[in-house]
Amino acid sequence: MQWYDNKENNSEKEMTVKIRFFARFRELLGTDIVIDVAAATMFTHLITTIARKNPEGYAAIFDENGTFHEFVILMKNGKRIELTDAATTPVADGDEIAVFPPVAGG
Amino acid sequence: MIAIQTSDVDIGALIAAAKEHGTGAVVVFDGIVRDDEITEMELEAYEEVAVKELKKIAGEATRQFGLLHVDIIHRIGRLVVGENILIIVVSAGHRKEAYAGSRFIIEEIKKGVPIWKKELTRDGGRWVPGDHGHGKGYH
Repeated sequence: MQWYDNKENNSEKEMTVKIRFFARFRELLGTDIVIDVAAATMFTHLITTIARKNPEGYAAIFDENGTFHEFVILMKNGKRIELTDAATTPVADGDEIAVFPPVAGG
Repeated sequence: MIAIQTSDVDIGALIAAAKEHGTGAVVVFDGIVRDDEITEMELEAYEEVAVKELKKIAGEATRQFGLLHVDIIHRIGRLVVGENILIIVVSAGHRKEAYAGSRFIIEEIKKGVPIWKKELTRDGGRWVPGDHGHGKGYH
């Protein structure tokens, strides 16, 4: 997989990020996934790749065109990332990425 | 006290502590697991972010309504019917501000604090659908 390049083939420094899924997404895809990614990996690409390990998990987050469902919420280190920016927002070393459905507390 | 925790709280002790100098009214909101033919409820939070959001909401309510004291305790984990889920205790000089501040806090929590509920039934479970406001509570 592209984002999981062998270190020797990758001239750029690899980075480690953590992905946290919550609620239904967590049940389908797991959580606290720590992974090495190539530099300049974009949010959407990373989440797409991880979500593909479970078709039901993928379908919970993405539509048939591979676009985020509009209700999905993304965060980088506790701050919102707009879905429309996710394809062009690179992850950085040490980032904590959160992906979750609409909240239902209270 | 702003907290996300598994354990319950002593609401009487919170009321006593909320009676700051100048208090004329204390309003308590106690959200409870309702008997909707469920066996239990399971609650989950993105704790670090949720606590930050709760503190932000408490600060905003204090500023807007002149509250003298705010407690928000949201429980997580497995809770049975009748248990407390969310306790909000506010005090103010007068009832109007206390009621309005309490109402503001619960509505803001519903809008944007990353907490989820799953109703557990004999047949399995179902996630309570969130209000799809697209996380408008976040900044």
